[in-house]
Amino acid sequence: MSYLQLKCIVNGDLVELDIEPSELLIDVLRDRLNLTGVKKGCKKGECGACTIIMNGDAVNSCLVPAARAQGAVIETIEGISKTGRLHPLQQCFIENGAIQCGYCTPGMIMSAKALLDKNPHPTKQEIREALAGNLCRCTGYVKIEKAVEQAAKIIFEITEGRGTSK
Amino acid sequence: MIPENIIGKSISRVESAEKATGTAVFTADMKLPNMLFGKVLRSPYPHAKIVSIDTSKAEALPGVKAVVTYKNSPSVIFNTAARTAQQKINQVDDEVIFGKVVRYVGDEIAAVAATSEEIAAEALTLIEVNYEILPAVFDPLEAMKPDAPQLHDCKNGNNIATLIKLPMGDVEQGFAESETVIEQSFKVPVQKHCQLENHAAIAEVSHNGRITVWSPTQTPHTAKNLLAKIFGLPASKVRVLNPPYIGGGFGARIGFCGKTEPIAVLLAQKTGRPVLLSYDRKEDFIASDTRHSGYITVKLGAKKDGQLKALYINAVLNTGAYASYGPDVIAVLGTTNCSVYRVPNVLFEGSLVYTNTTTAAAMRGFGNPQGNYALECSMDILAEKLGLDPVELRLKNIIKPFDKWMLPYPCATSALEDCIQLGAKSIGWERRNEPKVPVNHKVRGIGMACGTHVSNAGPWAIQYDNAYLAVQQDGSVLVTVGITDMGQGSATALTQVAAEALGVPVEKVHVLAGDTDTSPHSLGSNASRTLYSAGLSIINAADKVKQQILDFCAGEFGVDSSELSIKNGIVSCKDPNKGQLKFEEVCDLANHKDLQFVAVGRNKLSNAPPWIAHFAEVEVDLETGEVEVLRFVAAHDSGKIINPTIVEGQIEGAVLQGVGYALSEQIVYNDKGQQAQDSFHEYYMPSIKDTPEIETIIVETEEPSGPFGAKGVGECAQVPVAGAIANAVANAIGDRINELPMNKERVLAAIMQKEK
Repeated sequence: MSYLQLKCIVNGDLVELDIEPSELLIDVLRDRLNLTGVKKGCKKGECGACTIIMNGDAVNSCLVPAARAQGAVIETIEGISKTGRLHPLQQCFIENGAIQCGYCTPGMIMSAKALLDKNPHPTKQEIREALAGNLCRCTGYVKIEKAVEQAAKIIFEITEGRGTSK
Repeated sequence: MIPENIIGKSISRVESAEKATGTAVFTADMKLPNMLFGKVLRSPYPHAKIVSIDTSKAEALPGVKAVVTYKNSPSVIFNTAARTAQQKINQVDDEVIFGKVVRYVGDEIAAVAATSEEIAAEALTLIEVNYEILPAVFDPLEAMKPDAPQLHDCKNGNNIATLIKLPMGDVEQGFAESETVIEQSFKVPVQKHCQLENHAAIAEVSHNGRITVWSPTQTPHTAKNLLAKIFGLPASKVRVLNPPYIGGGFGARIGFCGKTEPIAVLLAQKTGRPVLLSYDRKEDFIASDTRHSGYITVKLGAKKDGQLKALYINAVLNTGAYASYGPDVIAVLGTTNCSVYRVPNVLFEGSLVYTNTTTAAAMRGFGNPQGNYALECSMDILAEKLGLDPVELRLKNIIKPFDKWMLPYPCATSALEDCIQLGAKSIGWERRNEPKVPVNHKVRGIGMACGTHVSNAGPWAIQYDNAYLAVQQDGSVLVTVGITDMGQGSATALTQVAAEALGVPVEKVHVLAGDTDTSPHSLGSNASRTLYSAGLSIINAADKVKQQILDFCAGEFGVDSSELSIKNGIVSCKDPNKGQLKFEEVCDLANHKDLQFVAVGRNKLSNAPPWIAHFAEVEVDLETGEVEVLRFVAAHDSGKIINPTIVEGQIEGAVLQGVGYALSEQIVYNDKGQQAQDSFHEYYMPSIKDTPEIETIIVETEEPSGPFGAKGVGECAQVPVAGAIANAVANAIGDRINELPMNKERVLAAIMQKEK
């Protein structure tokens, strides 16, 4: 078996690993780095539970060969609350009741974060487009949409320095 | 009087921070030392005998630690439902872990435990099976015929697992007295739960033979009792627990999660090592329970003024390869749908039929949504024939509190009338009769449906439940219950119930659910019963603990305990000169006198009907047949609401499952007996783009049998969705489809048929 040396940044830390060419990013994250917040729902890129952010884009980590993460900057759900403080998306998901079983939640939040990082004022339609690949069977998406809208407002207030996260 | 403290407050879920940060642990996230990985070999044929099976090559593969088949596994026959059903339900034991006959594509043949999932998968390809292929049947009407291929030996007729007949009054007489009679048949599809976490289990066997299983089962005690039966162990030597989180359930995990638990145990026993068996999404689709498909006929008789005189419902349900919860499901289909309207003469007849398809069992609503769709479409057909408004016809006939009905418990509360009127107002019902003028080849329609459901599992199942409540030495409270929180929010709502019952802050209460070692028996989370049943158990335990506290304080104060009361965490005496004690002071005092306040509470063996009225506005594209739900109004009476945000979330989620059931979701079989839909890609479950505007209307009642007045909610909102949408589509296009899902092809065919 030939091995590749994978070097990438995961949640701010430099990671160096020997990987097999056939390994998928989802398995490296879950099994090697113990980042089990990356959820496995279908392994075919159909449910979005394994969504992470790679070089700024939301991707299904079950479709990404680990080798493709060479030199990449990766964020998972475990890395987005800084200094013990929840990310506004996490806070808004909790406060709006947007979480039920919680299995889709990490992927849903990462897709929403990738959207808000690029587009701080998304329309309802843009939110729906960004989350269309993340399936949820519990919530009917109503409170998820509301949580993302509210988080966008809070992030805007923080970045504009006109207030703080509540 | 309802206490005012924490009941009715939308506190955030107790566990949501863990879920939002990715730290929540689900079954397949766990790693045990020395753990092996399991994989299952499944039948490629819908019906076959295993003539021979050779596992030697698989066993020889490096890394393989065990291979199990019917040859080296228990032959105990079981049914995942059999340990919980009341005797009158006539359960059928018809399953083994691995049999010599396979009865659907996906049926289990063998399993492997290996040092990696990849090696286990490779080993499956090395197992050699010789089959004798048997004739197969996929449709229940075909399967009932005397010459159809036989799946099991049935005493009720070929492939008929159960026959059920529920009469009230004289239905023949009722139709004779009717001035208008309508009759219509409907076809309903297979729906899949699609909970986001696939089925999985980890089993560990200790040196003394005690078994521990982590799985997302909704019913740990039921799973424990079944495992004890299958493996011939005392139930006390089996522990089943959630890890603790469950990635959704919707009925798919009542009893076992597929067959993951018994197969994982078997592999762990053979290897002496912990084994994780995790299904992939395809296995979840084809080899775990589905909603029952089938055929439902409704006959309604009424006087000219709309007063109902007779109702006959006949259901032929396809239970697939094994009966599982089918006998209970068909009974619930009948009783719930015969109990929406005040009809003096009622007859329900049900046939539960085996076919060579995936086993159907419990799914949100438990038979009720199938029957409700047929009943509520029939009510609209009757209204049209009578020249009455559908809302008016329903208001004239709905069950009122303490009306006679076929259920053994009373209807003590109903706000259905309010739900219908508020819903009709919100949707703009008066627009329903406006002329249908297409705009950009799209036409709109409005429809409604109403229904009822349950708050507990009786009279169909054994329904007692227990809660253990231990007041800690610092006055905080630990509650353990055998129900599970699969995402519906029970742990939070029950925390509120315990806090209210004892008058302590929610922050001081912890509710531990889903572990058979820490809780006395519970039927688990199903039948919309979790809050109702476990809530009653907790209140009962709290009452006992409060009495212990009052008795203890009577000694401290030197008065009779009847002179004392507990309110807001303070024990006080009628005589103000005696002073008062804070809850934590009492507990500390008791601790120093070698006393802890502990109790086990029991629920009442009661049940109560929640009520639902749903209204849909749809837009039908006359060129493509596509139906879009524009707006949905869900009006609910679930008694007193403990946590409004959680209840809204349950309703919104169930409405969207109902939208999927109505418009897009189905599993169909090809002529080889293969499931044409075995992935999300093919199944068309609604995404965020399919979510209509959903308005939730809550009309509270105070149910005397419920915890602080609460009734069931979890399944309710799935019940009338398909009927409301079907009636809206009929209103839009002026024709009825009578088959679900109302996908583009079917709607377009109906439009073209009408234009001819």
